[in-house]
Amino acid sequence: MSNNQEQSFWSKYIFSTDHKVIGKQFLWLGIIFLLFGGFQAMLIRWSLSNTGEPLPWWLLGNFLYQSNEGIISPDAYNQLFTMHGTIMIFWAITPVLIGAFGNFCIPLQIGAPDMVFPKLNMISFWTMFLASVVLLVSYLLPEGTAAGGWTSYPPLSTPVGGIPGQGQVFWTLSLTLAGTSTLMGAINYITTIVRLRAPGMGYFKMPLTIWGLFLTSILNALFVPIIAAGLIILLLDNVAGTQFLIAGGKATIPGGDPLLYQHVFWIFGHPEVYILILPAWGVVSDLLSVFARKPAFGYKATAICMCAITTLSAVVWGHHMYTTGMSPLLGKTFMFLTLLISIPSSIFFFNWLGTLWRGSLKFETPMLFAMSVMWVFGLGGLTGLYNATITSDIYLHDTYFVVGHFHYTMAASVLFGGFAAIYFWFPKLFGKQMNSIFGKVHFWFSFIPLNLVFFNMMVMGYAGHHRRIYDPTEYEFLAPVLGLNDLISISAYILGAAQCVFVVNFIYSLLKGKVAEKNPWKAATLEWTLDVPIPHGNFATVPTVYNGPHEYSHPDLKDRDWISQSEPLSS
Amino acid sequence: MKRMKKIFPGIWFLEPPKDISVDGWRIDNVIQYTDTVITIYFAIVVLAMLYFVIRYRSRSGHQAVYDRGDTKKHVVITVAMGLLIFFSIDVVIEGMSFRDLKEAFWNFPKGDDVVQVEVMPQQFAWNFRYAGEDGEFGTEDDLVPSQNQMHIPVDKPVIIQIAPYDVIHSFYLPNFRVKIDATPGMVNTMWFQATETGKFEIACAELCGNSHYRMKGYLTVDSEEDYNNWLQSLEEEGLEDDEWGDEDEEIPIRWGWAWKESM
Repeated sequence: MSNNQEQSFWSKYIFSTDHKVIGKQFLWLGIIFLLFGGFQAMLIRWSLSNTGEPLPWWLLGNFLYQSNEGIISPDAYNQLFTMHGTIMIFWAITPVLIGAFGNFCIPLQIGAPDMVFPKLNMISFWTMFLASVVLLVSYLLPEGTAAGGWTSYPPLSTPVGGIPGQGQVFWTLSLTLAGTSTLMGAINYITTIVRLRAPGMGYFKMPLTIWGLFLTSILNALFVPIIAAGLIILLLDNVAGTQFLIAGGKATIPGGDPLLYQHVFWIFGHPEVYILILPAWGVVSDLLSVFARKPAFGYKATAICMCAITTLSAVVWGHHMYTTGMSPLLGKTFMFLTLLISIPSSIFFFNWLGTLWRGSLKFETPMLFAMSVMWVFGLGGLTGLYNATITSDIYLHDTYFVVGHFHYTMAASVLFGGFAAIYFWFPKLFGKQMNSIFGKVHFWFSFIPLNLVFFNMMVMGYAGHHRRIYDPTEYEFLAPVLGLNDLISISAYILGAAQCVFVVNFIYSLLKGKVAEKNPWKAATLEWTLDVPIPHGNFATVPTVYNGPHEYSHPDLKDRDWISQSEPLSS
Repeated sequence: MKRMKKIFPGIWFLEPPKDISVDGWRIDNVIQYTDTVITIYFAIVVLAMLYFVIRYRSRSGHQAVYDRGDTKKHVVITVAMGLLIFFSIDVVIEGMSFRDLKEAFWNFPKGDDVVQVEVMPQQFAWNFRYAGEDGEFGTEDDLVPSQNQMHIPVDKPVIIQIAPYDVIHSFYLPNFRVKIDATPGMVNTMWFQATETGKFEIACAELCGNSHYRMKGYLTVDSEEDYNNWLQSLEEEGLEDDEWGDEDEEIPIRWGWAWKESM
């Protein structure tokens, strides 16, 4: 670690091997794509409630879809929801929670000087950057981007599927690159956590954020190679004339099987849900403890439950495929295994409630977002029961119920967990405090419309509305839900507008925000013992860890209610 | 905002489309049971959170209680609550679901009065095929109605076997609460039975291309007599029986496949 060496602009800010700089690079990338993907969601909502009408000026109506008088066509609509899903999952959530906070928090919270493989870390970001370029280039193709849904089931996503252009090729390539980046990150995170913990930092003294990131990385390391294999097969079908995933009337070579892709996709795809949500769970568990001023309730049980869920997540992918004509034995097995997840999930949910119980709750912005994760994840988790059950899933599969459900679990929980993390670590990232009034406005204008959007999507799905329908007026049985459809759109616009408050707050605080104290939240984890800017190499002397990560309101403490992990508790 | 005015009446009390099937109630029941129990649990959680927010808010003179929640008592209580949820929801709905699958959805009807229909979706239409007089598929007298028109008799079990021509589709009958994927290269099967006559919609539930949204068919439930008349009219029309795919025997699924008895 060359702490004192003079560095050029390039090696300091662009091709840096400092985990904190790489974390910030991931953060910027993630936020930009979050806004981009979110804007696409607005276009989707406009198209759904105003099918065939030109876009209004506030959705950049004068600039978009000019060749079609500003109207979103069915092809464009399919491209929008395909790219919205892809971008939000792989380019927004993954970089923010795993890329940014994984990079930033892991070395700081375990007392390490940096990641164990700093160069691999840098290559990981730049691979992701390359993936982003490939993805964005597909918007410039004459026939547009991929349009086969974020799942890209073949044969629709192969040349026989009838979608014109090369969007699918770019999609597959960019996703393979993004997966490569994730894999490099995962290897780095796992090795760092196993090898570079400071003296005294046992596994059960790690903050739960680190537990979440650790388990996420293990899942990534195990399952990203599987999706990569699937993507490469899909790529070959698209560019090399193979027919691994093509069967039926369009196949010219026997032996292809579209179902193979679905299995491969969901063997990765279900763990992916947990890959995204585990870091958010960890962050929320830690933040609840900080802002309730008491230790995380049942810390060990929470960590063990997270491990149990991680393990179970690997063997439940079949519940995405109940309607594929799966064998009854397999279906029942997947259903049973899926329902088992509710035991560890409930236990750690109760631990969250236990953390709040008899605490001294401070409703700072990160706390509001952390508590809202309890709400959205509670709803999302409970509504998963309908999809885990074969019979109710036969009806609800591929309806808006599923859309509402997975937005609650995956999008809302992770988004709010991510916002909590941004508001919480902003002082350590940039040395400034984010404005808390703007923060609270952002929270309430996100939380309420978000529930109106996704709860009503579940209601719509219960009323039978199937997914990915360009024009809902096409079906008579959907007539009763059209009003709800409009309400969802209006709520979505408010939700979108609220994110502008966040962007303004973020940039304003970065430039003109109040200079933050060293430890504004009075948190006990190691990163708060460092002054900002944290030098390359982090800790001047390697800290020794004495306490667990949540020592708040300990009865032996006199003048303050917290003690850092690296301070011995004198007794 | 041309449809604004319709927003408010009764939006949160939307119901599934009218159930006209023999077994749809089973699915509605599972959903309603789950609705009720999770509403109660979620309400308890929200009330607890509200109580904590008010009772334990930070204020002068109020101190958090140092409590790691890792005593034996705490662990036993949280695990017990986890198990309570598991047994009161998961086990119950799993039991209901297994019962319904065994008694209804996977219990395929047998006998002479079972109506058999082959379904072959393609981008972006539904093809149906009836066996005709000889009761065998893939023969000269197969009946193929015009696209997107499926007729079934009321009060009789109907088994469909489905395989698509091109990409994945999903045969979705909102009024029967059922759907089944049509995956190229394999034949899937499903059965249902109507309890009243009328014309209902068939939707494609799996994204299949740019016109997925209007891949709509109609399921007409006829009285016994009307159904027979309709079959009769098909025979008289003698609609052209289009062959799909080439004659290559290696491609297993061709339109008009022999009915797969083992399914």
